[in-house]
Amino acid sequence: MLGLKASILREVRRLGSRRIYICAMVLVPMLCALFFVSLLEPGLPLKTPVAVVDLDHSTMSRKVTRTLNALETIDVSERIESYDKALDRVRAGEIYGFFVIPANFEADALGGRTPTLEYYSNMTYFVPGTLAFKGFKTVAVTTTGGLVTATLVSAGADPAMVGSLIQPMTVQEHPLGNPWLSYSIYLCPSFIYGVLALMIFLTTAFAITMEIKNGTSSQWLATAHGRMSVALVGKLLPHTVIFSVVGLGIMSLLWGYCHFPVAGSLWWMALAVLLFVMACQAMALFVVSVFPNPRLSLSVLSLLGILSFSLTGFSFPVQSMYGALAIFSYAIPVRYLFLIYVSDVLNGWPIYYVRLYYVALILFVPIGCTLAWRLKKACLKPVYVP
Amino acid sequence: MNVFKNIGRWLRSLSEVFAHEFSIVTHDAGALLFFVALPLLYPIVYTLIYNPEVVRQLPISIVDNSRSAESRELVRSASAAPAVTIYSYDANLSDAKARMAAGEVFAIMEIPSDYSRKLATGEQATVPMYFDMSLLLRYRALLSAITDLQMKLAHDVTAMRVETIGASSIGMASLPVESESNFLGDTSDGFASFVIPGIVILILQQSMVLGVMLLEGTSRERRRRNGGIDPKMVKGASTTALIIGKALCYTVIYMPMAMYVMVLIPHLFNLPHIGNPVEALLFIFPLLLASTFFGQTLTYFAKERESTFMVVVFTSVVFLFLSGLTWPRYAMNDFWRFCGDLIPGVWGLEGFIRINSNGATLAESVKPFLAMWILTGVYFLSAWWVMAYIRRESRTASVPAGTPTASLPSAPAEQSPESSGRS
Repeated sequence: MLGLKASILREVRRLGSRRIYICAMVLVPMLCALFFVSLLEPGLPLKTPVAVVDLDHSTMSRKVTRTLNALETIDVSERIESYDKALDRVRAGEIYGFFVIPANFEADALGGRTPTLEYYSNMTYFVPGTLAFKGFKTVAVTTTGGLVTATLVSAGADPAMVGSLIQPMTVQEHPLGNPWLSYSIYLCPSFIYGVLALMIFLTTAFAITMEIKNGTSSQWLATAHGRMSVALVGKLLPHTVIFSVVGLGIMSLLWGYCHFPVAGSLWWMALAVLLFVMACQAMALFVVSVFPNPRLSLSVLSLLGILSFSLTGFSFPVQSMYGALAIFSYAIPVRYLFLIYVSDVLNGWPIYYVRLYYVALILFVPIGCTLAWRLKKACLKPVYVP
Repeated sequence: MNVFKNIGRWLRSLSEVFAHEFSIVTHDAGALLFFVALPLLYPIVYTLIYNPEVVRQLPISIVDNSRSAESRELVRSASAAPAVTIYSYDANLSDAKARMAAGEVFAIMEIPSDYSRKLATGEQATVPMYFDMSLLLRYRALLSAITDLQMKLAHDVTAMRVETIGASSIGMASLPVESESNFLGDTSDGFASFVIPGIVILILQQSMVLGVMLLEGTSRERRRRNGGIDPKMVKGASTTALIIGKALCYTVIYMPMAMYVMVLIPHLFNLPHIGNPVEALLFIFPLLLASTFFGQTLTYFAKERESTFMVVVFTSVVFLFLSGLTWPRYAMNDFWRFCGDLIPGVWGLEGFIRINSNGATLAESVKPFLAMWILTGVYFLSAWWVMAYIRRESRTASVPAGTPTASLPSAPAEQSPESSGRS
């Protein structure tokens, strides 16, 4: 097409002329991917530091402490003599919870006077608080169970029956797709592609608005023989290629090198990544067309890029948000990529269930181009407002 | 006497820089956006997103192969839990899985056909349950509801069974040990209550860094256009006076912002706020100061106004993870823990959460407090080095090439970084 090749060559030269492009397009997404993978490598945080406040000092209380310490998610790092001191340690951030064994615990338990085990979990840090809580609860329940068993067996009950007596029904958990409950598998794909989306937003806006800032936008259009469509394709196609390669590179890091579980087909995921790259570019183009000013468009896109980590429901589900905010999650490309990832790669459901999400990703492209005429006007008469 | 004269001169140039910088900030829409609008609006938007606090009424599907009074009782008890709502009864597991794939339900409970028989004969019944693992929060809410259900059932059935085997005479009518769980800090176990006190601190640091780099990037553009001299800069100010004057200016602007995000926001949204607000503000002062120097240091990477966005924005996500809010710091490897140690906001976040949500005093938060002062010192030195470098670089780089453009101080970037400099 007339001027297309020249436009592409021009953009490739521009990308090569400044280090910031290679940093933003390749280094930042790849390094962030490595960061997440390496940070969350253990999968589940083990050894949550907690304390035991043992006011009883009996055989039984020491056994409770040992049981607690034997849990892989719990590390009884301190033995403390009073509730107040334990609370001080929580405030100082040294422990995330503590387990109180009351005085005369053993004597009361055996004498039928029903002592109370108390445990305190610091929920200001969600994950360690939850893990401490879970460990405490397990130990409280097994301690009770152990005592019931001992009493019943000594009273002459059949030991085989006692087990079902304590727990007549058990729930067999099947956490589909992530049986290890690994935070890495849960967080890495969504957050890494969230960073990629952010960098696509910023790079697209930066590349276009710098033309306006430096007054080279009319030259950019002239290279494309004055046709906005050719100018845009020429500018954004090299970006699409680079970001697609980076997106696929992240895939090979996660599901190739790190062996994250794959229940479905990675080809569908790869297709989704390619569409996602273009959808993000289109969205950035739309914002730039509305605000053909570098600072404004970059601000808006930073806001969108950062808020999308929360709005797309990577951690707090969209279904539980206020409707007026939840609706915005459907205007964010990475939301669809996340849903496709969950359905296809994590759960291995048939691709039929996510067909509409592919359509949504494709629709971003025409919608993103609707205001290109505004951008053309701004490019013909570039005005830079700092 | 000479010493006093020098000190006096230095203080005068410091106050000049302060006043000058203040007027630059108030006349720059971009800087005002970062310094004022961002800390004002972001906490509100974030809190609104997470304000529902807990996930409730998660739809689940039931596959009841037992179809007995006992299995219906189990389902009734499950649907009574606030986290659960029974969305559908499905004929078999594959129908239920199709619902899960369509996103209609997030868990399936499959009650086996021998459920009521096993309960009646005193055996242990096993109920498989399948969870969608896309979000751990949902899994956790469902799991805790199901665990409570299991314990309630154990309570009811055990009492009955102990009765039937005639063991009630030995005092097993109640459990031999009670247990009591207490939540500290975020007592409602809500999501906003946990995440917002941490996020507001990162907002303070990141908006400060963004604003500082935007201003410095703009100043570097002015230098490039004017042969190495920023015409808006105070003449004759030493590098030390320059960076300290700026730091004080930004810190003063941020004091009301800090008060707003740390005191007003938790009150407004009824998040945990049991700490002493005065101590919280005292605690955060070194964070603001360290952030100004941190931003001035990072200016090294911002050769122009707009590259700030490319350099800083993504770091918010990285810093959020380094802070240990999502993934605890004790579980990080030494390298990442060290990286986190270098970020003022990581310490500020940790200390503020303890003060705000756990009611710690300033004395109990002395470790993060001292760490932030040390970082203030470290970043002061690096900021000094960067400022000295910028002054030197722009002088040497622009003199030969800059002569023609120097006469056009207001022309929009004749000598753009696209063509000359590389950033």
